[in-house]
Amino acid sequence: EDQVKIKQKKVMEIDPEEEAEFERELRAVMQESIDSRKLEVRSRPALNMVIPMNLFEGSKEHSRMTDVESGDETVDEHDGGSDVAYRVLVKKGNKQQTKQLRIPRDSSLVQSTKQKEAAELEE
Amino acid sequence: EEGGDDDSHEYSKRDLPEHSCKYCGIHNPACIVRCNVCRKWFCNSRGNTSGSHIVNHLVRAKHKEVCLHKDSTLGETTLECYNCGCRNVFLLGFISSKTESVVVLLCREPCLNVGALKDMNWDLSQWQPLIDDRCFLSWLVKVPTEQEQLRARQISAQQINKVEELWKISPDATLEDLEKPGVDDEPQPVALKYEEAYQYQNVFGPLVKLEADYDKMMKESQSKDNITVRWDVGLNKKRIAYFVFPKEDNELRLVPGDELRLRYPGDSTHSAWQSVGHVIKLTAQEEVALELRASQGVPIDVNHNFSVDFVWKSTSFDRMQAAMKTLAVDDTSVSGYIYHRLLGHEVEAQLIRTTLPRRFGAPGLPDLNVSQVQAVKSVLQKPVSLIQGPPGTGKTVTSAAIVYHLARQSQGQVLVCAPSNVAVDQLAEKISATGLKVVRLCAKSREAVSSPVEHLTLHYQVKHLDTSDKSELHKLQLLKDEQGELSSADEKKYKALKRATEREIAQSADVICCTCVGAGDPRLLNFRFRQVLIDESTQATEPECLIPLVLGAKQVVLVGDHCQLGPVIMCKKAARAGLAQSLFERLVLLGVKPIRLVVQYRMHPALSEFPSNNFYEGTLQNGITMNERLTVGIDFPWPVPNRPMFFYVQMGQEEISASGTSYLNRTEAANVEKIVTTFLKTGVLPTQIGVITPYEGQRAYIVNHMSRIGSLRQSLYKEIEVASVDSFQGREKDFIILSCVRSNEHQGIGFLNDPRRLNVALTRARFGIVILGNPKVLSKQALWNSLLTHYKEHECLVEGPLNNLKQSMVQFQKPKKVYM
Ligand SMILES: [Zn+2]
Ligand SMILES: [Zn+2]
Ligand SMILES: [Zn+2]
Repeated sequence: EDQVKIKQKKVMEIDPEEEAEFERELRAVMQESIDSRKLEVRSRPALNMVIPMNLFEGSKEHSRMTDVESGDETVDEHDGGSDVAYRVLVKKGNKQQTKQLRIPRDSSLVQSTKQKEAAELEE
Repeated sequence: EEGGDDDSHEYSKRDLPEHSCKYCGIHNPACIVRCNVCRKWFCNSRGNTSGSHIVNHLVRAKHKEVCLHKDSTLGETTLECYNCGCRNVFLLGFISSKTESVVVLLCREPCLNVGALKDMNWDLSQWQPLIDDRCFLSWLVKVPTEQEQLRARQISAQQINKVEELWKISPDATLEDLEKPGVDDEPQPVALKYEEAYQYQNVFGPLVKLEADYDKMMKESQSKDNITVRWDVGLNKKRIAYFVFPKEDNELRLVPGDELRLRYPGDSTHSAWQSVGHVIKLTAQEEVALELRASQGVPIDVNHNFSVDFVWKSTSFDRMQAAMKTLAVDDTSVSGYIYHRLLGHEVEAQLIRTTLPRRFGAPGLPDLNVSQVQAVKSVLQKPVSLIQGPPGTGKTVTSAAIVYHLARQSQGQVLVCAPSNVAVDQLAEKISATGLKVVRLCAKSREAVSSPVEHLTLHYQVKHLDTSDKSELHKLQLLKDEQGELSSADEKKYKALKRATEREIAQSADVICCTCVGAGDPRLLNFRFRQVLIDESTQATEPECLIPLVLGAKQVVLVGDHCQLGPVIMCKKAARAGLAQSLFERLVLLGVKPIRLVVQYRMHPALSEFPSNNFYEGTLQNGITMNERLTVGIDFPWPVPNRPMFFYVQMGQEEISASGTSYLNRTEAANVEKIVTTFLKTGVLPTQIGVITPYEGQRAYIVNHMSRIGSLRQSLYKEIEVASVDSFQGREKDFIILSCVRSNEHQGIGFLNDPRRLNVALTRARFGIVILGNPKVLSKQALWNSLLTHYKEHECLVEGPLNNLKQSMVQFQKPKKVYM
């Protein structure tokens, strides 16, 4: 109801020096994080990455994002963009949970999966 | 000028929620994350920096763990590696399953490099870092919309650096702490446009504070000793003390509702005593009537040696600060359109879709003229309008008609405000005449002050509500009046009942009328007003105007005249920085064109000519003819018979008044008395005459001189109002005598330098005006020079005794500068 059209576009004035300095600091934090992990974790961690299939009852429905049966997974094309429904697997304590998350179709994550899928289909 | 409440909690503090971005205030749960180290929240917008706020914080504070908000898509979730639980967000990224639509967070060191993973169903080649392009992935933490970002505080990279440094020492510091100016700093001046409401608050907040501090200092230093009191009892059985409270230029002028403390030091037969009370009126004899709160133990058998202190209240200033804060933190305080317009952003024009009425007038009001109809019509279709009402152009009638039509659109209750109580009363009366249900909300401190619209006031309506279920309230009220107080249980019951009744009555009204400051009254706490009209808005400061607006305004009408006097700012520093500029004026500067009412019904056409040409580009038309302003039977020596005006040349010297802080001019005062006496002798009533002088010293001298020297009954002279230009604003008299006082070739003309003050002084008279002053001095100023020339050209510049006035040949000086 309360729609306002603001005429002036916001001009982002970013000081290139500030930007460069921030980029340096960000890289430093990244590097320092990686280095500290390398030192810290001597032994390789055990793997605990099996997807708990029991979380997906009727896994057929959820097998691929191309399925259009369930409402969640329909492609959302309202405003030009289109999202794909994914599930995020998280651990709450020792319990595994999945939660819905919409990821834009043009994100590299979705794109690569699509390519893989296409390749698989061709095979 | 509005006292606060004694018994109710003040307005709710509107604060940003806990989960607001500590940089910019955005608090949409989908857009924010909490830093798990310092527990502050940050959003995922870049604002004016190269990285998003949360990434900025994590990098600069070297914090690395975050948690999503409980109302975000994923719920309250700490981001961590699915495999090893590592929470360092700089190491985390998403991988997806090869077969399912499933993603997990995995750390890049070491988990991503564990060979065994490759054999499982995960696609490791497309590890997507959580922080990408210096932002969190926008599909995990949303980027606020442009609209949200425009309303958020704009923070620069430098400010972020500073506040992060500050947090290392004091973790609870806010951005405001960064902005705090030093004691001696000149305040930041007001601007035309503001990025957002925080910047607005950062500019106006300190100015309001300066004014508040000055006001407090000045009022609290106003203690007077050796006051003589006479005692009386009011109808409500409360004690009233009458006394004279001496005043000087620029010093505080008491107004009804002010709170004073009366003290008696004690003597051999009386112990020391003191009580606080409210000023309920100022008598014509310049006495203050103070209604005391306590009726017990008052030393009514003593009259001398009392002292009076001013009890300063911060209420009005607090409400201005609260309104600015509300504008910044509460998205619903005003519509998006009004928000951007107030801040001076360029927005696409909006029209209000409404069916226009067939008639633009309203029942119970005089018919509207063309420009008034135009004003009503235009206002109804626009979310923001300005109406400029030059003197005598029917501003109040037009406003009342607008309110009538707004109320009939059934958008909820209409809020009608003005800075002064007098203006609110006038408007309330007119609106009520249209048949709308009006509630006039008065400050509690003014409930004992008599008002022409008492029957409309909330407190009156509560008292006189005549239904059986209110009898409990009435009983308690009666008991309270009789005993002075109630038992604590009864008092509680009484307050609850009263509050409920007040609410009920206020809610049933079509229109609520109160002062701008009154709109911050706790009794309106949960009220919302989409349509707000502010009359005399050019006499209010911006923050004052904001108080009624932040109650949900979607349609705003500001009425006023920026060519007349603006708000009175006592603190010079704050005035210099621009606090004296009204919102109306700023909107005009921003290009909002006021709709001008152009037909004036007050002044004799000869009197409106100069103001029209010099203040209103010659647009003022006369709604009355010369014949309607004939002074039949009044034998007064006007130099030109059908021009009831003259400039009376005075060469007497000015003097410093006894107080040392003001000026007086004896010759002018003597001639004022002669003019007044001549008017009175020809049958003009004292109430028809107003004497205007800008100086308190002269005002006091004239009052005194007239009653001493005047040849007629003293009481006649006492009834004549002698006051400053400022106190005549908004009012009219049949005859005006203006005494300019200043007559010093080497100094400025002080108060008279302001063209807006001259405009007000010249436009108060309906039938005739006499100006007394020294043309040699006044002609140095350009506007006065043209006024003198105007009088001279019309053969109205005269000198000599009143019964033998002659054209004056006095030479004018060249005006110094065109700039006024
Ligand atoms: Zn932190
Ligand atoms: Zn932010
Ligand atoms: Zn890991």
